[in-house]
Amino acid sequence: MSRFIATSAIRGAHSVIADAEATLKDALQKMGPETPVAFTSTSYFLPVIFGFTGQKITKLGDMPAALQHARSLLPPVPRDNLWLPYLGETLDAGVATLFAEEIIEGIRFAKGQQPEQYNGHKLNGPIDDVQMRSWGIQMVDGRMPGFAAIVGAAKSNEVAVEIVRQLQSRGQLVFLCSQSNGRSIIDQLRESGVDLGYDTFTVTFGTDTYSAVYALGYATRAALSFGNVAAGDIRKILLYNKFRCFAFVLALGQVDDIKYATAAGAINYGFPVIADTVIPNILPSGVTRYAHVVSLPFDDLPGKDDLEKAQRLVQRCVEIRGIKIKIAQVPIPVAYGPAFEGEVVRRENLRIEYGGKGSMCFELLTTKSLDEVEDGKITVVGPEIDAVPDGAKVPLAIVIEVAGRKMQTDFEPVLERQIHHFVNGAEGIQHIGQRDIAWLRFSKSAVNKGFKLKHLGDILHANYHNHFGAIVDKVQITLYSDPEKVKQLMGKARAIYSERNIRTAGLTDEAVDTFYSCSLCQSFAPTHICVINPERVGLCGAYNWLDCRASYEINPTGPNKPVAKGKVIDAAKGEWEGVNKFVYENTQMKTDRFTLYSIMDQPMTTCGCCECVMVLLPECNGFMLVSRDDYGMTPCGMTFTTLMGTVGGGLQTPGMMGVGKYYLLSKKFISSEGGIRRVVWLSKNLKESMEEELKAVCEREGVPDLLDKIGDGSVATTVEDLLPLLEKKGHPALTMAPLI
Amino acid sequence: MALSGIEIYKHLPKTNCKKCGFPTCLAFAMKVSQKAIAITACTDLSETARAALEAASRPPIRLITIGGDSRKVEVGNEVVMFRHEKTFYHPPGLMIKLKDTAPLEATLKTVDEVANLVIDRVGLKLSLDGFAIQNESKDAATFARCVEAVKAKADLPLVLMSPDPAAMEAALEKSARSRPLIYAATKDNWEKMAELAKKHSCPLVASEPASLDELAALTQKLNQAGVEDLVLDPGPQGFSSSLNTLTQLRRLALKKSFRPLGYPIITFPAETTGSPEEEVLLAGQQIAKYAGIIVLSRFSPATAYPLLTMRLNMYTDPQKPIQMSPGIYPIGAPKPSSPLCVTTNFSLTYFSVATELEASGFPSWLLVCDTEGLSVLTAWAAGKFDAEKIAKSVKAFNVEASISHRSIIIPGRVAVLRGELEEELQGWKIMVGPPEAMEIGSYLKRYWTN
Amino acid sequence: MPVEIPVEKWAGKVNEVKLGGNGRKSIVIGGETTLPFLKIDGAMPHRPAIAVEVDDVMPADWSPHLIAAWGDALEDPAVWAKKAAEYGADIIALTLDSAHPERGNTGAAEAKKTVEKVLAAVDLPVIIIGPDVAEKDNEVLIAASSVGRGQRLALGNCVDKNYRSVAAACIADGHVAIAKTPIDINLAKQLNILICDIGLAPDAILMDPTTGGLGYGIEYTYSVMERLRLAALIGDKMTSMPMICNVGEESWRQKEARATSGVPATWGDHQERALAWEGITAVSLLNSGADIVVLQHPRTIALIKDAISKLMA
Ligand code: SF4
Ligand code: SF4
Repeated sequence: MSRFIATSAIRGAHSVIADAEATLKDALQKMGPETPVAFTSTSYFLPVIFGFTGQKITKLGDMPAALQHARSLLPPVPRDNLWLPYLGETLDAGVATLFAEEIIEGIRFAKGQQPEQYNGHKLNGPIDDVQMRSWGIQMVDGRMPGFAAIVGAAKSNEVAVEIVRQLQSRGQLVFLCSQSNGRSIIDQLRESGVDLGYDTFTVTFGTDTYSAVYALGYATRAALSFGNVAAGDIRKILLYNKFRCFAFVLALGQVDDIKYATAAGAINYGFPVIADTVIPNILPSGVTRYAHVVSLPFDDLPGKDDLEKAQRLVQRCVEIRGIKIKIAQVPIPVAYGPAFEGEVVRRENLRIEYGGKGSMCFELLTTKSLDEVEDGKITVVGPEIDAVPDGAKVPLAIVIEVAGRKMQTDFEPVLERQIHHFVNGAEGIQHIGQRDIAWLRFSKSAVNKGFKLKHLGDILHANYHNHFGAIVDKVQITLYSDPEKVKQLMGKARAIYSERNIRTAGLTDEAVDTFYSCSLCQSFAPTHICVINPERVGLCGAYNWLDCRASYEINPTGPNKPVAKGKVIDAAKGEWEGVNKFVYENTQMKTDRFTLYSIMDQPMTTCGCCECVMVLLPECNGFMLVSRDDYGMTPCGMTFTTLMGTVGGGLQTPGMMGVGKYYLLSKKFISSEGGIRRVVWLSKNLKESMEEELKAVCEREGVPDLLDKIGDGSVATTVEDLLPLLEKKGHPALTMAPLI
Repeated sequence: MALSGIEIYKHLPKTNCKKCGFPTCLAFAMKVSQKAIAITACTDLSETARAALEAASRPPIRLITIGGDSRKVEVGNEVVMFRHEKTFYHPPGLMIKLKDTAPLEATLKTVDEVANLVIDRVGLKLSLDGFAIQNESKDAATFARCVEAVKAKADLPLVLMSPDPAAMEAALEKSARSRPLIYAATKDNWEKMAELAKKHSCPLVASEPASLDELAALTQKLNQAGVEDLVLDPGPQGFSSSLNTLTQLRRLALKKSFRPLGYPIITFPAETTGSPEEEVLLAGQQIAKYAGIIVLSRFSPATAYPLLTMRLNMYTDPQKPIQMSPGIYPIGAPKPSSPLCVTTNFSLTYFSVATELEASGFPSWLLVCDTEGLSVLTAWAAGKFDAEKIAKSVKAFNVEASISHRSIIIPGRVAVLRGELEEELQGWKIMVGPPEAMEIGSYLKRYWTN
Repeated sequence: MPVEIPVEKWAGKVNEVKLGGNGRKSIVIGGETTLPFLKIDGAMPHRPAIAVEVDDVMPADWSPHLIAAWGDALEDPAVWAKKAAEYGADIIALTLDSAHPERGNTGAAEAKKTVEKVLAAVDLPVIIIGPDVAEKDNEVLIAASSVGRGQRLALGNCVDKNYRSVAAACIADGHVAIAKTPIDINLAKQLNILICDIGLAPDAILMDPTTGGLGYGIEYTYSVMERLRLAALIGDKMTSMPMICNVGEESWRQKEARATSGVPATWGDHQERALAWEGITAVSLLNSGADIVVLQHPRTIALIKDAISKLMA
């Protein structure tokens, strides 16, 4: 806590309360306690006092009690070197200030001095209930993040206008009040001809700092109307605002004691205070979500002129309050939407291609810290499209850097894989492949409409915000079309890819304490649940552990939930307390135990969409695996389709289960029964398409010639034919411990 | 506790002799564990194994067959309370009641109408199952004559309804070969009825409205008399009691394996309802809630159709969605110039698209591809709904002969197929439709200009 | 031999949701501690309600039987609503269909007027349904919400695309949101969680699991509803919302109920068939857990009302 700020705020609070006491005394004498008091069209009385205490102030005579309460909150002004004030005391002083300010404004209403007449205009004063509710709905549904309460005056009229424009463009409500050196931002905007009013989301409160209390009255009423909170339940009111109302205070110009005191009141609501002058910072978060007080001296902001600095200032404010960005329309000159995903750019219509045979193109998404990324910055290094002849083949590197408080490096590949999907949505642009085999084709019609390399950046920027806003706060994109640069960066990218490969391969079940579930298939198989561990994909083969984790972070109420492993029950079979509990609760209590590494003892349930079915062949003391695209008969006497009818539908069937084909390669592949050694028959297409990988697994497991000994549909489709073959080749399963 | 397939397998001879109709002992064991077949189907089972397995594998609700070789109704053998838990296997028989007092001519006209009622619903043929003939005349000869005449007109499954064993005997003489259901053994006549059932090997209804206790007592007496194929009649049931009683009966069978009440149930919805309209509603409820045979008091095609549809819907396997037969379907009365849309043969997908096309005001052609009953996205992900498949379907169903233009609208969710489809269908215009069926109407208004 | 009836003991309870009040008749639905109408396991304290659909424009493509049954009332939602009340509606389900971009594209101002008119015409609880286009729903529902402030309307549809706005309006004006999801238990639950996260109380939410009419997916709706209700009874708070089914529209829009010509003779009498179509759909969904059924034909209102009484008996 800054001693300086605390001292100023507490001093300010004392002075506001003294003022309120004097004003109230005078008003009571002159007008009497029965004089009615009411803000503009509201049923929330003096809303801050009502919210904090539940007290309904309707007349002057109701005020002394509230003011006494305020005074009781007030800590003494810290004397030099005597004691160090704490955050708590400063915050209390802030609350006391808001009470006193609201009382003063209330008396002004009683006297007919509010809303304020100023320079021949009537200011708005407090916001009425109807408007509050209408904006409140937009705040709840996310169209309007919150409000910016601007206190003071900007460096110049132009700067004032730019700040307000920037805020409006982000859907932020703008409240205007107070002054600095005799100037108010209200003057600045009015002089520049800016329309002020409800229609333009700008509200003029008053020309002194006291009127800033209307902003907090608004926040209080929003919580009371939309937060299911009762007046007096102040903790809930403050929490509601902290988490739901993305508001902040922007102090322009010098900050005096009263501003500090009022700001301390705002901090109670979780609203950070940002000043464009030099004041001490209070950074560690606690009461506010991120930082309490941040100083961003205007002249030190980056930017070539004041307008850029103003933009930067707003950008920083938005980041500090943690406001998420949504971009309604991707700003590119061609149409954009899922309908264009399947388009092919044919040779006749090809204007330029990046990558493809004989060229180089890669895409890489990495994580940076928040200050290393400038959101929305798109840079093209090398020639733009217009500088390249028709039909040319050019190298390209798409380098995306993201930052986010919840971003993790593990999500990088998940996000990177989306490039394909995002870019293909643009009309006339075709994207193929991924990583260093990416390949883009731009059509003539798209380029003629003005599509440039830079627009790839716009597409990606917008989509990452819109789809991954939960984990990504900032995105910047660099597009390298300079061949030298691409070559140079390619090596680095490849190093990162291989690092990721190693990491994914090295992810073990033991290394994590949380697995993830997938319940997507419950729409068909109500009692089916997939528990997905790092060493086993979902049985449809489409989701691995990392995908599920990212999906959970992005959408916590979606189909993927974390499953805490809990205490281990049987390490060899892969049974954990936490998993069992989760499975029980999520299979309509139909299944109470789940082993992850066994097919014979309480195996996972199977739904209708598995890639392969694995079946016990008791005669062979092993298992066969048939894949979905194998239509032939199998040694167990059933085709894939018949097997699905037996095993599918959310049942647990010892001796049979659905698996994703990559599970075959896992070290945890039915490890409790002996792993790959138990496989006696595989669908031919599986055996062929995964030959290399399977060989490697056999090596790893110390049975290098195993693959040869495993039967397939071309040599046996009955167990009678299979068994002699296994015997002839000496398949290891035959001599292993009996399964039954 | 049901045994797992493996546990059952352990008891089997393990010879894979295939005499049970299954290729291996394990395949058979899996089916037994699902109670889809009785353990006795294995011919080589040892006595000890049979004893060990029989109790665990016996279907909790006995499968009862009514009718002869030409047409029969099989009911019972249900294993779940709710269709989503597995499926409902044996749709209830819907029977039309006839009285032997009605003029024979009129009766036979109805018989003819019922027998000929075939409703074609998306490739499936729906029809009623047979007749319940009531011995209203109380006269044995009249009853027998009526039964004989009905049987001669249409050899459909029958329920013979008479409290009089003599009349029953007379009617059975005329019809026993087609295994009619005898209605009914009561606590007064059960010995005689049991005799008849045994003699003619026909299934028998045990009727006891007093209470489930007494109903169970009756079935046990009938069992002891050697009758195994029973159907329960717990007495007249209105909306509430039907739901409650039939649920209790199903629970007793499934949850308590209570043998004396482990049989299908017969209901007569007209007995408790005041109007034909109401009878239909109660019959509808009983289709979903646990009836095995439903006897309707009158025949009307207008109510038979919705009831047959209800039965079809409830007895669809929820884990194996119904598939449409692939082909090109006219929606409304399309002309050669009307729009052509393509979708998968998952029934729900088909119905959503067809319903929206129907409502769009654009008569259209709907091309349904064989995707093995998968919905659009799932089929696409499984590689069963790709450009090649669509192009093949266009050829296979000779779409080009039905339409005069060359534009095809593909579901918005598989917009990715557009490029490949342009390759596969040279000279066609590939249009990407909306992602949701609901938007088809607006889409056609906006983009269909042929 | 004494038969011991197995009884299920359920831990959960369906939320009780109140509609209307504040000068308007009120109704409470939900509160079940048992499967629909199954008295042996628990209680069903409130009878399921019948809502009757009233459109703000003359329906364009209705079956002639519906048009004949309602006559001129179809031209004025207030008259229509009054008539529906006479026929026995417990609730009026006002559909602001004219706001659909292709069916008039009316906006907030018209919606306000219509809602005011209907609220003035009847004293029954009212449900307001938008045109089923998320953005337009937002516009007209928010307008309706402020007009009906305090009268505890039910506003629908609240879907994944617009749930925030509708839920916010419900919080602000004290209404009930109808959360609609496409026949899927997990999506239904997820939407309930999201709506509760915004701050709408669980007892201000109804679920519309999306109705498939008889022959058009009723089995999916039926099973999803049974699963939702079982989950609620097991104790899952996020599936414990009462359910509403749009039976009338989903029955009468089908060829079997609508087509007047070109149908096979085996389909029988048109009106009889159409009424059975709506009636069976309603009874089936009541049996799978519907707490409100929205109906269209006056005869069905009477029949279902009677069937509900008998089921509750
Ligand atoms: S099979 Fe795939 S989609 Fe289905 S639940 Fe498992 S992981 Fe999810
Ligand atoms: S009849 Fe018996 S022994 Fe023969 S295959 Fe079937 S289960 Fe095995």
